[in-house]
Formats: sequence, C-alpha cells, structure tokens
Amino acid sequence: MADSMMAIAILLPVVAGFLILAVRNYFARGAVVILTALILIANSIYFTLKGPFTYTPGGFNWGLLITILDYGILIFYLYIGISLRNWLVLIFALTQIIPLAYFEFVMKAHIEVTPAFVIDNLSIVMTLVISIIGSLICIYAIRYMYDHEHHLHLEKSKQSRFLFWLVLFLGAMNGLVFANNLVWLYFFWEVTTLCCYQLISHDRTELAIKNAARALWMNATGGTAFILAIIYLYATQGGANALSMQTIIGGGLQGTLVLLPVALMCYTGCTKAAQMPFQSWLLGAMVAPTPVSALLHSSTMVKAGVYLVVRLAPAFAGTYLSIAIAMVGAFTFFGTSALAISQTTGKRVLAYSTIANLGLIIACAGINTPLSIAAAIMLIIFHAISKGLLFLCAGTIEHQIWSREIEDMEGLAVKAPLTTLITAVGILSMFLPPFGMLLGKWIALEAAYIVPLAAVFFVLASTLTIVFWTKWLGRLLQVLPKLGWPIERLSPSYAVPLWTLLIGIFVIGIGIGPIYQNFLLAATNNVISGNQIISLGLNNLVLTTPSFLQREILGVFPVWPLYLILIVALLLPFLMIGLKPTELRPVYMCGEQAGGGAPDTDEWFAEADTVTKCQLGGYYYQNIFGEKRVCPWANAIAILLLVIMIGGVIVL
Amino acid sequence: MMINQLLLVFIVLVGAPIVGGLLFGIDRKITARMQGRYGPPIVQPFYDFFKLLGKQHIAVSKMQFVWIYGYLVFMIASLIFLVLKSDFLLLVFLLGFAAVSLVLGGFSTKSPYAHFGANRELMQIMAYEPILLLLAIGIYAQNGSFLISEIFKHDKPLLFTLWPLFLAVLYVLTIKMRKSPFDIATSHHGHQEVVKGVTTEYSGPYFALFHLAEWYEIILLLGIIALFWTNPLWVGILIALAAFIIELFIDNIAARLTVSWMVRLSWSVGLILGIANIAYIYFTKGVS
Repeated sequence: MADSMMAIAILLPVVAGFLILAVRNYFARGAVVILTALILIANSIYFTLKGPFTYTPGGFNWGLLITILDYGILIFYLYIGISLRNWLVLIFALTQIIPLAYFEFVMKAHIEVTPAFVIDNLSIVMTLVISIIGSLICIYAIRYMYDHEHHLHLEKSKQSRFLFWLVLFLGAMNGLVFANNLVWLYFFWEVTTLCCYQLISHDRTELAIKNAARALWMNATGGTAFILAIIYLYATQGGANALSMQTIIGGGLQGTLVLLPVALMCYTGCTKAAQMPFQSWLLGAMVAPTPVSALLHSSTMVKAGVYLVVRLAPAFAGTYLSIAIAMVGAFTFFGTSALAISQTTGKRVLAYSTIANLGLIIACAGINTPLSIAAAIMLIIFHAISKGLLFLCAGTIEHQIWSREIEDMEGLAVKAPLTTLITAVGILSMFLPPFGMLLGKWIALEAAYIVPLAAVFFVLASTLTIVFWTKWLGRLLQVLPKLGWPIERLSPSYAVPLWTLLIGIFVIGIGIGPIYQNFLLAATNNVISGNQIISLGLNNLVLTTPSFLQREILGVFPVWPLYLILIVALLLPFLMIGLKPTELRPVYMCGEQAGGGAPDTDEWFAEADTVTKCQLGGYYYQNIFGEKRVCPWANAIAILLLVIMIGGVIVL
Repeated sequence: MMINQLLLVFIVLVGAPIVGGLLFGIDRKITARMQGRYGPPIVQPFYDFFKLLGKQHIAVSKMQFVWIYGYLVFMIASLIFLVLKSDFLLLVFLLGFAAVSLVLGGFSTKSPYAHFGANRELMQIMAYEPILLLLAIGIYAQNGSFLISEIFKHDKPLLFTLWPLFLAVLYVLTIKMRKSPFDIATSHHGHQEVVKGVTTEYSGPYFALFHLAEWYEIILLLGIIALFWTNPLWVGILIALAAFIIELFIDNIAARLTVSWMVRLSWSVGLILGIANIAYIYFTKGVS
C-alpha cells in the first residue's frame, strides 16, 4: 500500500504532467487536471488516515536516477546562465555543480540512507496543504490560463506547458516534505526551483525572464549552501548516516561546529522563503500569471523554506542559532509589513504580506518552545488557505477589470459584489479576530516573550499589518449611494476553488480546537515535545505551561464565542435595517452637489460652477514606507543578521 | 459562578452606557466651565441620544451599517472580555477590530470628509495599537500570564513596575477619547473639525449607535487604566477617574497636532517608554 501511496504523491503529478503536455484539447486537458487533483486530494487524506510510516523504495536504482536528474537540472541552469548572459545564474550554477561533482566523484560518497522517506505528522500536515490547496489552484488555472491567453491574443497556446509545470510542482513538493535522505531532499529542492523558474518566465516577456533569472540565482545561493552542508556533514560526521534528517534532528551529530550545517540549511530555507534581503525574487515573481503566485505563496515553494526551518528546529533548540533565526524572521516580519503599506499594486501587497507571515513562522521556529512551534504549524495552514484564496481573488479581479492596481479596484463592490465579498472575507481573515491567522499570531505573541526583541518586532509588525489591509479593503468598498447591485457570474473553474477555500477558512478556524488536539498536537510533537501545551475546553483554546508541575494558564482564546460575536455583528444590520430607495441621500459636499438631487452622483460645483467629478484616492505613504526609503537600510540590517546568524555559529 | 458572571455581564452591558454617558456629560460641563461658559446639563448626552434615535432613517450606503454595528458589537465584546477578566492580548485585538470597523465605515462611502477621517483614524490605530500590545507583554512580563484575572491575584499593583507603560497608556487615552492634541479623526468640538471626520456620513439613529459605542469605549478604557491598581480596586478606579479629568485639562490647553506628529510621538516616546519598561523587567526578573 505504501508503494502506491508514495507513487501517487510523487510520481503521479509527473505522469499527469506529461499527459497534459500531450493533450491539446482544452476540455480533455482540464479533465486530466481535475482527475489528478481529485486523486491527489484523496491520497493526502488517505495519508492522514494511515498515519506515520517510513518508506524506502526498492526494485530500481532510484539514487542513480536522482543523481542523473540533479546534473540535468544544474546543466540546464548553466545553459540559462549562458544563454541569458546572466553571470549570477552562471556562477551559482557552478557553485552547485562543482561541489556536487566533488562530493560524488572525488569523495566517492555513498548516499544510501535508510529510510529514504520518513512520513511523520508534520509531513502529513504539509502534504495535506500541498495536495488540497495546490490542487484547487491547478483547477483554477485551467480557466484562468484560457482567459489569460484570450486576453493576450496569443496565436500558439502554451497552456499545456504551463499546467505541466504547475502539476509537476506538487509532486516535487510532496517529495520534499517526505524525504529523509538529504541528497534526495536537495534534489526535490532543485526541482521546485526549476519549476519556479519555468513558471515565472512563462509569458516570455523581457521582465518575466529577468525576474525569473533573479529568482533562480537567489535560490541557487540557497542550493549552494545546502550542498555545502551535505558535504560538511558527510566529511565530519562519518558518512552517509549523517545525511539522514532524522539523525540531525534526533541529536545524532557529534563533535565541534555541528551547528554549521544546520545554520547553512536554515539559510537555504530563508532564501526559498524569500526572507529579507531575498524578498525581491518573490516580488519579481508577481509578473507571472496569478495561479503561479497563488501556488508559490500558499502551498508550495515558500512553504518549502519555512518547512525546512521548522523541521530543523530541534537541531538548534536552546542554542545561539535559535535566537538568531528568531531575529531574522522577526525583522523580516516587521520590515516587509512596513513595505507593504507603500505598495499600490494588489499583488505586491499580497507578496509582502506573505513574506511577512513567513518571517513570523520562521521567528516562531526560532523561539522554539512547544507553544511557538504549534503557532508555526497553525500559521502554515491558515496562511496557505487565506493567501491561496486572496491570490485567486486577485486573479479573478484582474480578469474582471484587467488591472492589478489597487486604485483601479475602487468601488469594486458595485461592479463585482460576489468577488468583493469573498475578497473582503479573505482580507479580514488575515488580521482580525476570530480568524485563524490572528489566532496563530496571538499564540506567537504569547510565546514570544522568551525573545523580547522579537516580541517587540511582532507588536510593531502586527500594527502595520492592520494598516495595509484596511487601506486596501477600504478602496474596494467605496460605493455611491445606490441600491441593487447585480451579482456577477463566475466560471465554475473560478468559483469552485474560491468557495472551497472560503468555506475552508471557517471550517478550520471554527474547528481548530479539535483539529489541534487530534492532529496538529502530534505534528508539534514531531518537532518538539511538549504535550498539553494547548488544551481544549469545549470551545476554548487554553494555553498553559507545565511549570512546577502545576500548570499555569497563559491565555485563553474562546474560539466559538468569538465566531458567535462575528455572526451577531453581521446579522444585526440585516435584521435591524432595511434601506428603502427613498431613504438614500447623497454624501455631504458642503451643499455643492451637482446632479440635481439624485443621490448617486459624485459631481459637484467647483469654481465658477463648473461641474467637476469628485475623485478620491488611497494614501500610500511613499515618503515614509516607500521601497527606496526602506529597502537600503532594511536590506543592510537583514544581511547583517544573516552574517551574524552563520558567523556566530562558527565563532561561538 | 456561571450565573454570577452572566449577571455581571448583564449589569455592565446596561450600566456602562449610563455611566459612560454621564462621564461625557461631566466632560461637557467641565469643558464649558473651563471655557467660561455655563454648559449643558450633565444628562445632555442622553437627551441627544434619544433625539437622534427618533430622527428619520437616512443613509448613503447599505454597507455603512455593517461597519457601525461591527464597531458597536466588537466594542461591547472587548468590554465583556474585561469584565470576565479574560485574556488581555485578545482584548486588544478585539478593540482593534472595533476601530478597523469604524475606519471601513468611513471608507465605504464616496465622501471626501469621511475618507479624510477614515485615513486619520487608521493612523490613530497605528499610533496607539503597539502601545496597547506592549502593555499586554508588560503584564505578561510582570505576572507570567496574559489573563486579567491573574492581575487581580497579585497584591502588588502593576503601577509600581509598569509606570512607564502607564504614562504611555495615558497617551493612548488622549487619542482614543478624541481629545486635543489628538482629536484628529473626529472631534467633540465643532470649532476645530473638518466637518465631522470619520462620522460625517452617519446620521440619525446610526449616529446614535456611534455615540453608544463611544460610551462603552470610555468605560473600557478607564477599566484598562484601573487594572494598574487592582488591590483594592477602588484605588484603580480613582486613578482612572483622575486620568479622565487630566484628559479634560489637556484637551482645553492643547491645540490639535498633525497626524504625522501623533504617529511620530507615539512611535518614539511611547514605544521607548514601553520597550524600556519591558526590558527592565526582563533583565531584573528574567523569563518567568
């Protein structure tokens, strides 16, 4: 059974991908994608039911195949570097291929690790996120890419190619979260980088290729650090046994400088999670079609980065490195939240907010208490759902108004009430109680006092978060006094993923108590054991610490009562107020309203009674939070923090 | 226990607006006397409230109502959290939701004045939210818990160790009470108002709801200040009332500052007070 489960999780997306490449018919291709999505979802649920196990594939020399493919990918990077004349890509391809060749031919390394895959509860959480949310995004992409090409008037369709990389991504991610053998983990890591490059550069515009190349070289620095960590482990820890993730996190490393490879791998995680100063690659990735952004931000790519750091947490628990990682994450959370305020493009706000939340997750891994790890895992799940939904909303909005600018979304509530409603719930779910993201933030803040400076950054960042989300939502809601907005129709390929994710926000949010108790607690214990840290009343989340055998209560989050309050707040206006057209009035304009008394006018008499249209705009505070203002010093601090993180491990 | 709590919540839900309304009446009386006027009777806010309720229902958009009710409901919710001595951090987040609702209410019209007010209200949130969150962390540093009930279990008042944060919270009180120099989003005084700021487009019964929420808010804020001295609680309440009177004086001797000054002051002086306070406790007490 394990054989077929693993094959479906990792190899099925590959096979399906080639099938998609071969099929040229829109409907047949869509059917293949939907079928693959359904099988992946069912398979991930089956993983949950079966529970943890270990697995080593046999019957074929998989290690050799992976080595060959490794070189294939790296040689392809070399080719990209040369053909684009991008020296950074070329250099960082060489810094990977040369050490890898040294490792395999000079050191003649044996890289058989048993078990090759360890599927524990954390992996299962990840595979659920990848398979369910990732699959929904693939379904969304079927119709999106059709509309996208229709709008661009392309002669030759590239939808198959796009969906191929999209589906392949899911397989690579599944492999990544299951792999125990570091060399295999490295391979899947590189496959995700490759998929990411192909998807960002999909439109083949100059900007797309440039940004894709940037994503490639920045992630290749991470890959380089990873391969160096592998070589260091192999050379100093006596062979292939040290290349097992379980050995590393199980305290199996001995000798001096054992933290160095761990620090290098955390650096790798930070590059993939686009932590400062690497945020620019994820921002650049915004040029790609929106399903790519949705996939990169919610369930794949960046989540691989935070997964690696969270996974490694036991290896650096209680050390200097742990605090350094907490600071790197917390600073990114703060810096990118500030940058998000200045952004005028919806997708860029989302991108900065993603990086900020990933920073929060990484900081939680660095704080490294059972509480903060629980917060990290919850944040991974909640963030994947909410951010997946928001990107799909951004794509839907883009295909309605053909713009990504927030100012163009002014008054979207009239043009597309349904999309606006879903977007509004998505935005509110990012930063307000009782929704899951705030629950995660709440736990993180309660856990953060151990690293007080990180706690201060959390406080500042969560305030800035309120500002940029509210600003954006406010622009969507601006309407003229008018009743009866016609509700727009959404294609099922859009509607099904949107509604599923929207319902997901509420189901996971309301059910978080039982879900934590029955499922996430085990995942937390895979990282750090601390049973009973979050206990569950019928409807309350209660945080406790087991100090002096007597449990002290840290805080209480009454989940259900809070949702009840939300429902009351939403129901009251509908029950209390029915607005008649005769009760509508124009807004106050000092009595200078034009339009002859009709309420839905935004024209007024300016100088010499010229009728002028009233125009409102959002504030973006460019002179305070603009990229030009913030980035230079913020990047400098972030680089310094990374240097301190890795350098400190060597010096101390 | 359960019955007692329900009774307490009920008393507060009914009593808070009465006391809050009276406080606003006292505010108007004292302010008038300071300005050499006779001033309205102390129950004037209630006259105003019932008059507003009886006015014609007119509105500029349906969406406004969702947010004004959100403002009221979440304000009441955070007050209930205080009364039930629940989690202080969560209380701050709920108060944040209430404030965000008011901002979105302003944004959901195409009114230039409401937009001015909403943008300013948002900057006010940015100014005071970190201080309140730092207060939560300060309380945790002192008591090892975010629960308000834990504050009541300690004999030593928070004021002794958290006095820098107390000063910072007074600053927050000025912003939240919409008093000069920070009556930026909307003001109680007509003479320094950009029309009516964030509340411009609310009228009649819906404007009454805004007042009701404000009455709950003042009780909530004074309650938070009273937490600085909980044993015995009457000392804390006296401190809160003293803070209230001080705000009235500040209101009458200060002129309105600009938005950027408000944010700059709170992100420099306010945050330094808070951070220094927490750092001091951290280094003297260590991680509890």
